[in-house]
Amino acid sequence: MIRRAATVGRVGTPAVRAYAPVVVACGLVALLPLRYGDSRPMMGVVIGGVLFACYAVGFNVIFGSTGQLFLCTGALAGLGGYASAILSDRHGLPLMLAMLLATLVAATAGGLLSWIAVSRSLGVIFTGIVTLAFALAFQNLLLGQRDLTGGETGLVVEAGSDTLLGEQVAPFYVFVALLAGYLALFRALQRSHIGWAFRALRDDEIAAELAGVDVKRYRVLAGTLGSGMIGLAGALYAHSEGFISPSTFSFGEVDVLVIVMLAFGGIGSLLGPVVGAAAFTVLEEWMDSFNEYRLIIYGSVILVLFLVLPRGVVPTVQGLVERLRRRAGRPAAPVAPSPVDTLNPG
Amino acid sequence: MRAVVFDGVVLGLQFGLLGVGLTLVYGLGGVLNLAQGQFAVLGAIVVALRIDAGSAVVPAVLTGLVVAGSVGLALDLTLMRPVYRRTGEDRVLLGLLLMLGVAFIIDGVLVWRYPIEALTLRIGGEPVDVLGVRMRTGSLLASAIALGVGAILVLFLRYAATGKAVRSVIQDEEGAQLCGVSPEKVRAFVFALSGVLAALVAVTRSMTSPVTVNAGIDFTILALIVAVVGGLGSVSGAFLAGILLGIVNTVSAHYIGTYVTTIVLLGAAAITIVLRPSGLLGAGRE
Repeated sequence: MIRRAATVGRVGTPAVRAYAPVVVACGLVALLPLRYGDSRPMMGVVIGGVLFACYAVGFNVIFGSTGQLFLCTGALAGLGGYASAILSDRHGLPLMLAMLLATLVAATAGGLLSWIAVSRSLGVIFTGIVTLAFALAFQNLLLGQRDLTGGETGLVVEAGSDTLLGEQVAPFYVFVALLAGYLALFRALQRSHIGWAFRALRDDEIAAELAGVDVKRYRVLAGTLGSGMIGLAGALYAHSEGFISPSTFSFGEVDVLVIVMLAFGGIGSLLGPVVGAAAFTVLEEWMDSFNEYRLIIYGSVILVLFLVLPRGVVPTVQGLVERLRRRAGRPAAPVAPSPVDTLNPG
Repeated sequence: MRAVVFDGVVLGLQFGLLGVGLTLVYGLGGVLNLAQGQFAVLGAIVVALRIDAGSAVVPAVLTGLVVAGSVGLALDLTLMRPVYRRTGEDRVLLGLLLMLGVAFIIDGVLVWRYPIEALTLRIGGEPVDVLGVRMRTGSLLASAIALGVGAILVLFLRYAATGKAVRSVIQDEEGAQLCGVSPEKVRAFVFALSGVLAALVAVTRSMTSPVTVNAGIDFTILALIVAVVGGLGSVSGAFLAGILLGIVNTVSAHYIGTYVTTIVLLGAAAITIVLRPSGLLGAGRE
């Protein structure tokens, strides 16, 4: 990531430019109810898209920033969702408190997994398998603990249905606000000393360690924070949807999609999760009419996308813009700022 | 107790065979074949279709093995080329994602065309007494095949020229190349071999329980766990891990109950990885 000294000809202070993409992206997403607001099923689809963007940002903090392949996004979200539902419905905790505790549960679980992976210095694949084992075990636990989770039939979540989470369009804005918060947090991390440490340890772990970056601490920090974000999103979804079941949070339903979305959008980039979630939500919706060939189309799209754009959309577009600007900018010096310029990470 | 352990070994030998294909492909090219289970199911469905069409069992099985192997070979020669051009983490990630796409496509085609197809091979004959335990002929035949193939693989890798070439590429790709070994050819060969092995597992598995069209993902996850616990790149490690996990599986299913079993199995796998990050018999590199 290059930090250019020359900022001539650009709009706004660095801080404004850094957060502008977040505002623009979430502003655009927030317009969606204008088109789909009066259709309950379509609002469900759109909320699902924003939910997955939130998951993907959390996963991006863990995998994109520090290279820990967590194959338990669904399980962490499920931990948040089930914890919040059980705490509020069964133990009568206030909604906010239940969601806070659920977030802490997910964050602790993720932090613990991260700590295990880091202190045994497991590589990418091994971290992946250990977290996958956790995800599958959690899935089985949900199925087995019928009294608590309702097993395969699922759990009706009462708490939250009398708040604005029970309405048709309002939950959407709650999720957009959450996404905006997550993206702002991601950007703030990138701009802080933590972001420098993340980049250093991703580029070259040993060099970062030698330069005095406490690699372990930052990895565990990313694991904890990202898992908390995923858990909170899962908890919020449980209350807005009013029903959760093991398949809501299964590996096949959540993790596969989150990884594909992030890889498509661009791993480690700010807006990658949003672009990926948008693209694959549209794709899923479009494929609904081809139910029989769904998997075939899905697989083919994955193949073509990753062969053509192995780095992801956002970094590829950034690279293109950068090249165009350099070509246009060199003879005529810095004149007008490109509108897409705001996509550049600070 | 002895009968339960024996059942575990029978299951474990198949786990091992499943892990071997995955472990070799990863050890050679850094590609984590997430479509391994789908190769197995593809083979099984081809066998089932041939038998439905009136073919005898042995030719049908051979056709299934050849089809799965050819698909593996074709993938290596086409889709995996851009993957091998990359290095390090990039290669692992792209390989994994592309094979995930392949898994979706194979699953999609099979579920679309043959939604209710399943392979069950009934092996007749009276149960046989083995060390005081009555074993079904199907289980014995499945284990014999798995053991035989495992032994052939180990011997092949140790003594045959091609086997040595495979090991040399696993150890040091550049060094092997300097000695006149072509990593491309070795990788293509092993990718095809892993397809054949996957289909073979599906066939032996169908001797004890039916292999349905949507069993792919379960096969893949098992293969992953076995390969990683055994140590990626190690053939004997995969068999050792397979047998251990197989015994853990049947013993806990017998004494604790099925739903806890999966958790015990996964826990055992996770603990092994945490205690020995390079796997039971891994070379200590990833």
